[in-house]
Amino acid sequence: MPNVSITRPKLWLLKAVLAILFAQWLCGPMLVALADEPQPDPAGIATGDKSSTSDASGNSFILTEPTDKSAPDYAKNKKAFDDFTAQAAKEPLAMKLADNVGHLRISVNFSWTLLTGYLVLFMQAGFALLTCGLVRKKNAGHLMMLNFAAYVFAFLAYYVCGFAFQYGGGAINAAPANLGGTPTLNHFLLGGGLWGFLGGKGFFLSGPGYDAGSLCLTLFEVVFMETAGYIIVGAICERINFWAFLLCELFMGGILYPSFGCWVWGGGWMSQLGNTMGMGHGYVDFAGSTVVHGVGGFAAMALAIILGPRLGKYGPDGKPRAFPAHNLAFVVIGTFILLFGWMGFNPGSTLGASDLRISVIAVNTNLAAVAGSASAMFLWYYIFGKPDITMACNGMLAGLVAITAPCAFVSPNSAVIIGLIAGIVVDLGVLFNERVIKVDDPCGAISVHGYCGWLGAVCVGIFADGTYGAGWNGVGATSYLGKAGLGVTGLLYGDSRQFLMQVIGATFMAVYIFGFTYVVFSLVNSVSSMRVSKEVELEGLDIPEFGMEAYPEDRVEMISPGAQVARA
Amino acid sequence: MKRIEAIIRPSKLDEVKERLMTLGITGLTVSEVKGFGRQKGHTEMYRGTEYTVDFLPKILVTIVVAEDLVEPVAKAIAETARTGKIGDGKIFVSSLDEIMRIRTGERGPSAI
Repeated sequence: MPNVSITRPKLWLLKAVLAILFAQWLCGPMLVALADEPQPDPAGIATGDKSSTSDASGNSFILTEPTDKSAPDYAKNKKAFDDFTAQAAKEPLAMKLADNVGHLRISVNFSWTLLTGYLVLFMQAGFALLTCGLVRKKNAGHLMMLNFAAYVFAFLAYYVCGFAFQYGGGAINAAPANLGGTPTLNHFLLGGGLWGFLGGKGFFLSGPGYDAGSLCLTLFEVVFMETAGYIIVGAICERINFWAFLLCELFMGGILYPSFGCWVWGGGWMSQLGNTMGMGHGYVDFAGSTVVHGVGGFAAMALAIILGPRLGKYGPDGKPRAFPAHNLAFVVIGTFILLFGWMGFNPGSTLGASDLRISVIAVNTNLAAVAGSASAMFLWYYIFGKPDITMACNGMLAGLVAITAPCAFVSPNSAVIIGLIAGIVVDLGVLFNERVIKVDDPCGAISVHGYCGWLGAVCVGIFADGTYGAGWNGVGATSYLGKAGLGVTGLLYGDSRQFLMQVIGATFMAVYIFGFTYVVFSLVNSVSSMRVSKEVELEGLDIPEFGMEAYPEDRVEMISPGAQVARA
Repeated sequence: MKRIEAIIRPSKLDEVKERLMTLGITGLTVSEVKGFGRQKGHTEMYRGTEYTVDFLPKILVTIVVAEDLVEPVAKAIAETARTGKIGDGKIFVSSLDEIMRIRTGERGPSAI
């Protein structure tokens, strides 16, 4: 067994972190109290009043006074507003009731968002089982530790700055009305208006971030970020050392994921391209085919290329060799847990149960999953003569990833077609990675999450049928393409600019994420190798890295640990 | 006293055991082993890549008997473990110098 040098964390690092925490704890509340800003509502007693009350189609109960006198329907709106005000003055009890209804609506949406967030959290268990099952027995403990540490450290990074970068300017263009609008998150650190590049409120979840509505959003979004953090494990496992991995997770949770997330979900520039450049509804990604899965998949690709293939993966003749999975039961159970968690991932992304589209989303998500599994299985059967259980599982995940962006905008028939395409893409993607570009990806993360994530965003631009999403990203609230109430529309239903936007946006995502990750971690790798030594890799990473292994009963001396006690 | 070691297919273990019980065997030891003979390994496919399994899983049955039981036991194993296809295994018979029962200290044939 090779000698393993022990690396201890530096003490000054700990002191610096403690100093920063203390300083922000002192300054945070003071800065908010002094500023002339919307005040946070940590107790949740001022969130949700009559302004949150609306009918099924989203028309607000309260009418606001029209200000633009040059608007063509100014006179009509002004009269409606005056009538409403007069009526409201006569019926104070009705207005009070409207306050209660509004609060109730927000409460229901809080419950929905938090509960679906918990489902997404459970996906971490699915990822852990799936990836653990797919690696070799000698690395199973190491892989479990990676999965575990990913949650811990990416979460902390997201708490420090990730959430603020992603949603710090959310209220400007993308206020989540279903959660009360989070009015305190109203500042872009970089850019502004329709061209936001990085959010700037809510660091350490304190001050403006210490708000019931904002923290509800935080819980839901942090588990999404964790999903991207977990995806990379599948491509870099069995050879990365633990400290390099922690750096990857801090980068993912603190910078990489939040930056792209801000552009698409935090009201940033990509979501507003519909308003600024006339590109359909701007870049649309409902639940994160690209924002979550694409980011994870392409970051994984960059890291896998930097690390290089596992020892012995490619023979001297350049031919790939198989390292078979060590536990297929884990793989299947993990996949089913992921499917279950996805029932929170997609329907939960409405951020509210008051949006009844959730049933359509749930069914679409399941349909794409089974269609993806079926097509992946049968294509494999056709090529190799036997269906492969790990590829069938990858196919199910591929269908899920691909439906994640379009799930709210398409019909069940389209969901099946999207799933079928995704199953084919994932099969070909795995073979392409392994045989053509020779990127070693033990769990198929690049193909499942990267390629199918790209596909999912593009599918919005093809299959969206316009039944949902009127006014998405602030485009076409009253009418779109000459039709009142038309939502996000794809190529098949007559909006070619949306299609163009989706192709450009998804491709840009792939290039940006891959490029950024590759540059940063090439630098890291040149300073200190991110890979374990050859001897450690051959022995298995469990003992050299952590001093314990996943299956200690395999070792003879561990069979009767109570022997010495009995003798004494 | 003879030691009989038989390498058989894992799927045949139950059948062999049942048959040996009827012959009045007092005990036997089973090990999971891996190896190859003329059968060699075989190739399988994992995620689109072929791999060879060089060492096939087999069961090693070790059994110690008195001289008069050697022939019937070996015959019984050969009959029950045979499928007629390559990979059925082998039976080794060797002589044994001494046996000792740990609990009582008995030696020789009475310790079998």
